[in-house]
Amino acid sequence: MKGAYVMQLGVVPYGEAWELQRSIAGAVSQGAIPDTILLLEHPPTITTGRRTEEGELHVPDGAEVEIFETDRGGKSTFHGPGQLVCYPVFDLKRHGQDVKRYCRELEEALILTLARLGVAGERIDGLTGVWLTRPPRKIASIGIHIAKWVTTHGYALNVDMDPAPFTQWITACGLEDAAFTTIARELGRPVTVDELRGPALEALAEVFGLELEELPAEGAHGLWPQPVHAQLAARS
Amino acid sequence: MATGTQIEVVMPQMGVSVSEGTITKWLKSEGEHIAADEPLLEISTDKVDTEIPSPGEGVVAQILHQEGQTVEVGTVLAVIAPEGAEVSTPEPAAAPDPAAPEPATQEAADASEAAATEGAPADQPLTPEPAPQPAAPPAPAPAAAGNGGGSRTFVSPVVARIAAEHGVDPSAVQGTGTGGRVTKKDILAFVESGAHVAPEPPSAAPEPQQQPPPVPAPAPQAAASEPAAPQAAAPAPPAAPAPPPPAPAPAPAAQAPPKPAPVPVAQAAEPAAGENLEPMTAMRRGIAEHMRRSLDTSAHVTSAIEVDMSKVVAIRRKLKQEFESSYGVNPTYLSFVARATVETLREFPWINGEIRGDTIVTRNYVNLGFAVELADGKGLIVPVVKNAESLNLLGMAKAVSEIAKRAREKQLMPDDVQGGTFTITNPGGYGTFHGTPVISQPQAAILGTYAVVKRPWVVQDELGQDVIAIRPIMNVTLTYDHRLVDGALAGRFLNALRQKLEGWGESDY
Repeated sequence: MKGAYVMQLGVVPYGEAWELQRSIAGAVSQGAIPDTILLLEHPPTITTGRRTEEGELHVPDGAEVEIFETDRGGKSTFHGPGQLVCYPVFDLKRHGQDVKRYCRELEEALILTLARLGVAGERIDGLTGVWLTRPPRKIASIGIHIAKWVTTHGYALNVDMDPAPFTQWITACGLEDAAFTTIARELGRPVTVDELRGPALEALAEVFGLELEELPAEGAHGLWPQPVHAQLAARS
Repeated sequence: MATGTQIEVVMPQMGVSVSEGTITKWLKSEGEHIAADEPLLEISTDKVDTEIPSPGEGVVAQILHQEGQTVEVGTVLAVIAPEGAEVSTPEPAAAPDPAAPEPATQEAADASEAAATEGAPADQPLTPEPAPQPAAPPAPAPAAAGNGGGSRTFVSPVVARIAAEHGVDPSAVQGTGTGGRVTKKDILAFVESGAHVAPEPPSAAPEPQQQPPPVPAPAPQAAASEPAAPQAAAPAPPAAPAPPPPAPAPAPAAQAPPKPAPVPVAQAAEPAAGENLEPMTAMRRGIAEHMRRSLDTSAHVTSAIEVDMSKVVAIRRKLKQEFESSYGVNPTYLSFVARATVETLREFPWINGEIRGDTIVTRNYVNLGFAVELADGKGLIVPVVKNAESLNLLGMAKAVSEIAKRAREKQLMPDDVQGGTFTITNPGGYGTFHGTPVISQPQAAILGTYAVVKRPWVVQDELGQDVIAIRPIMNVTLTYDHRLVDGALAGRFLNALRQKLEGWGESDY
């Protein structure tokens, strides 16, 4: 087992979370802190990846949404409250040094997480992410950036939200005609993001062989900007 | 294929299951200057974008594949030429032989073995990205020993891994692929058929396998592996690992080579009388792993020298008021030492260097790291002052105080902790006069500075006669990687550093 930190955050603006990831990635790549997992939500945000193509974005005028161009792999996607966003900042030198295997392992963790709630997630060859099938509908998306074998970005799991923006505002992942769903919709009951935090962490711990430790609010010196630190302190 | 000192940038191995990737973005264009390790391009595989750093410093002379192109592992992507050099075009044959679908690299060749010790970082190079070796022509992959059929010497990395996972020797499997190659299907069919008895699952318990066979219990080493920073702050060494339980009485003599004691992984079951158990924090484990990895990588050796700080003390006294009133900066001893160190490093580039694969990297700049202990023993971090060679004493004092302030106020940004080329650790604040810090990988050395102490010192008076004087003496250590730095070089470095500090003139720096 390897030790890893967990930072449980609430709704964090995309830009702030990105800065935080990069700070942590710097420390992780130096070995100053162990692998660290961030769990959070974003306010309504559209992000584009390195492979986003023209025409994927068709946001209606007046939509309340921030748009970010990022350095992660994949195409455009949508984040919003009711979606569990997980950013594992891992040093892949400790996890097999294999970028594809890492993708498959994140999918594995998502499938295990969903299984704990009685939802049967599956992989579809060539379409990274986690899907429910018959008919295919996407429930979780993956996009990753790696520098010096340290990962940033991660996955977004639709818990309880209106998935309309995935199709109406953007052509998410560049997939025409893809359908998107949420855990709440599949279970036919309201589900909170907080309900998913435990299962998500257990699954990551299992797949990556991690022993998790919540980062104490006062233990995180010198690594990240104040606002997030204050937020972390306020949470616990 | 590299001509002169041109460096080829090769599509790196990004994992045994990855044979190709798509260029998503060139971060530099032809003609642009690039530093070693600076990101050059991004490669996309699946939904992962990976930054590929430049293997050396120079000018991006040629970009051989454009954005959007898919390239196999081992393909030459670009050429970095020294500034002002003529560029010779690499032969197109630089790409891997298309006959070998999965380019076999040394790493792939090691894959089957590596899988057996999965989880152990083994001897993976510590350089962040796969070693930028020149595109070796795809060597035949693990020619499994005892492989009878010369026709199937190739095993793809994927197959090698699957075979290793199932404990199958690929050479024992009848291949059905092109030219009799063993495919993934063949391995799986072989396993299904039950034609072999799987040995213990290799991935089961990775930790215990890290046990270094020849060394007895690691406990005795603990004292030597002090953290690379304020050691004295950490709980005194004796408090560290609980002494191993008394070894079982030296059983009936004949019991051949004593088995190494089991590695103390977790499960520190019941405390013995008088003992107290507390869980190791994730940070602690992280540091433990980091330190162990550094010691496993570099051949650590420490040399020490005594420095008479009389002149520095006198000058500091003079400057202190001016610096504080005019600039709000305290000219600490550390800033003097840092300034002199940077000057000395310019004369000893290897000590500011790095071993990268089979090459030695030297630089015309110094990014100086300062090991800092996070509050309450929460960990270590090494903020870096970039381009320290451009700073005079005042600049250095400001930079050190600035970075310390940012650390205190939790405002260090990623850039602040990356790219160090040499590190200073300063545990002297606790009164310690000697130590053997651990090198911050992948650097070549770390300087330790210790308490300035008044000591009786033999000097010569104006008549050339020996007399005893009271002098402020500071011990300075250089812990270096003996793979790169020899003791004589370290000695010359320390001596040059001492001369700079002992001969500090008022108008210097």
